[in-house]
Amino acid sequence: MIPSGAAPVHTERTFQRFTPGQRWEHGLLILTFVVLLLTGLPQKFRETSWSRFLLATPDRVELVRTIHRTAAVIFLLESAYHVGRGIYLLSRRRLSGEIFPTGQDLRDAGQMLRYLFFLSPRRPRYGRYSFEQKFTYWFLFFGFGILILSGLIVWFPTFFTRFLPGGIVPAAKLAHSSEALVSAIFVVLWHFFHVHLERLNLSIFSGRLNERDMRRHHALEFERLTGESADETTGDSG
Amino acid sequence: MRSSSRWLVPLTAAVLGLALVPAAALAGRDPSPPLGPSTQTEAYCMGCHAEPGLTMTLPSGEVLSLTISEDTLRGSVHSPLGIECRACHTSITTYPHPALDYATRRELSRGLYQACEKCHADNYSKTLDSMHAQAATAGNLEAPVCTDCHGSHDVHLPDRPRAHISEICGRCHTKIFSEYADSIHGSALLEEDNPDVPVCTDCHGVHNIQDPRTAQFRVESPEMCAGCHANPELMGRYGLSADVYSLYRLSWHGVDVSVYRAKWPTIWHESAVCTDCHGVHNIRSTEDPQSRVNPKNLLATCQQCHPDAGPNWTGAWTGHNRVSLERTPFVFYTESFYTQLVPVVLGLSAAYVLLQIVRALLDRIRRAWR
Repeated sequence: MIPSGAAPVHTERTFQRFTPGQRWEHGLLILTFVVLLLTGLPQKFRETSWSRFLLATPDRVELVRTIHRTAAVIFLLESAYHVGRGIYLLSRRRLSGEIFPTGQDLRDAGQMLRYLFFLSPRRPRYGRYSFEQKFTYWFLFFGFGILILSGLIVWFPTFFTRFLPGGIVPAAKLAHSSEALVSAIFVVLWHFFHVHLERLNLSIFSGRLNERDMRRHHALEFERLTGESADETTGDSG
Repeated sequence: MRSSSRWLVPLTAAVLGLALVPAAALAGRDPSPPLGPSTQTEAYCMGCHAEPGLTMTLPSGEVLSLTISEDTLRGSVHSPLGIECRACHTSITTYPHPALDYATRRELSRGLYQACEKCHADNYSKTLDSMHAQAATAGNLEAPVCTDCHGSHDVHLPDRPRAHISEICGRCHTKIFSEYADSIHGSALLEEDNPDVPVCTDCHGVHNIQDPRTAQFRVESPEMCAGCHANPELMGRYGLSADVYSLYRLSWHGVDVSVYRAKWPTIWHESAVCTDCHGVHNIRSTEDPQSRVNPKNLLATCQQCHPDAGPNWTGAWTGHNRVSLERTPFVFYTESFYTQLVPVVLGLSAAYVLLQIVRALLDRIRRAWR
């Protein structure tokens, strides 16, 4: 609180968005996802010249498969940790369920569309997570779920067909390579735009978000945390 | 130059025409000696060699019959064309004959057959690259030479009827021939003289037959089967699908094999080719209970490579069938999901991002205007 009458001292307030654990998780996810794409795509597009260049010898194919499976195990463990920890903390009421979609997200999306079509001058006021961020999370949550499950099936097909119908094997193969591509397209198209182009949002790496972005993009969260109005009436709003 | 070339064309035609008249007349005469000094020896030779019981003993102790039947010669392709004894027996020009310096009957065959090269140089040189020639070089003198397959005095066109070709191979390759004779291809050939099914040489080649056990032969074999099995007209005659090869190429096995074929044809690779599942010489109709790909036997066939596969495993094989709700529901729904729903979601996401970009740009322009 700046006392009235005193010289205005500019203080940069930041707000915690992610815990160190979550930031490490995201880093690990980027690393394994990129490795999995780099070693998976050449296997999907075997007939292309770049794949033939990368997979120049049968040994190279084996090497790429080994790397892919190693990265996949790390990816799987990280995902299991994430979901397990999430469920544990939710059950202990130590994690807010704010990532879960609500009816408000639909209303926000409608408001955002009205804004984009110039039918309304105002953007929706978001809480801790905007509907765009929730959509990113859940799109990739289920996408990664499909990738992990289908990947395990094509890795251990004879095991899974002990108790599941055989038809799941070619379906898993199709799902694995399709979903990988879909996830990659989605990350580039949607996620990169929202965190790099629309505004540079590095809070997942630093853990914190500055006041200006909090006011603009998480108005309700800002008001809940500070008790102030998020409307940028003060001078620093440019 | 111009005037002379104007005359050249009709002149050449006239000369050629004149030359063709006697040739045509000669061709009508039968039998005729069009080939020069090696002809007209048959009657002379047969003066002695028609006599029954004529033999000689080779140093090996083998008794060589020297009697040649007039009918055999007349029935061959050579004699009626005027290609007579001396054409092949080049060393014998007179009587008494020069001494034969072959110790065994086989040596004699391997010596005399070389005369085939005189006229059939192309096919002769192909045989020198063949698996059979390699076997001979490695010391197996029983490896066939021209005359073993085509005959000597009784040489015929080999494909009258077509079954004859496979029967010739079967003389040595007895076990494979009996498997083949029971197969869908072999039985159609031997029982119905079917013109479409492959005889041995259709798959193995004719004169330059190669070792079919190499990695290269293996990865190229699906293409070979596709020669007939991807031909819609041919397959249509038997109610068979001509898509089997194109669908195989999309399969796990097929992609692997085509990569090896293109890049590492000489490196052995285990991914299944047609013959691994369908059999080689003993290929049967899928409906045949003895077929390796009959639903009853399919699991055992898969287990050759996937030993820990359980009973559900065969359902993993989409067959050489297009994706359909009835046959492959899991793949069908997965494919529908990724070809219909997902593109819509991604498309809407892209549209939303585009709207955001447009709105942001317009806002920026508006701010700049103020």
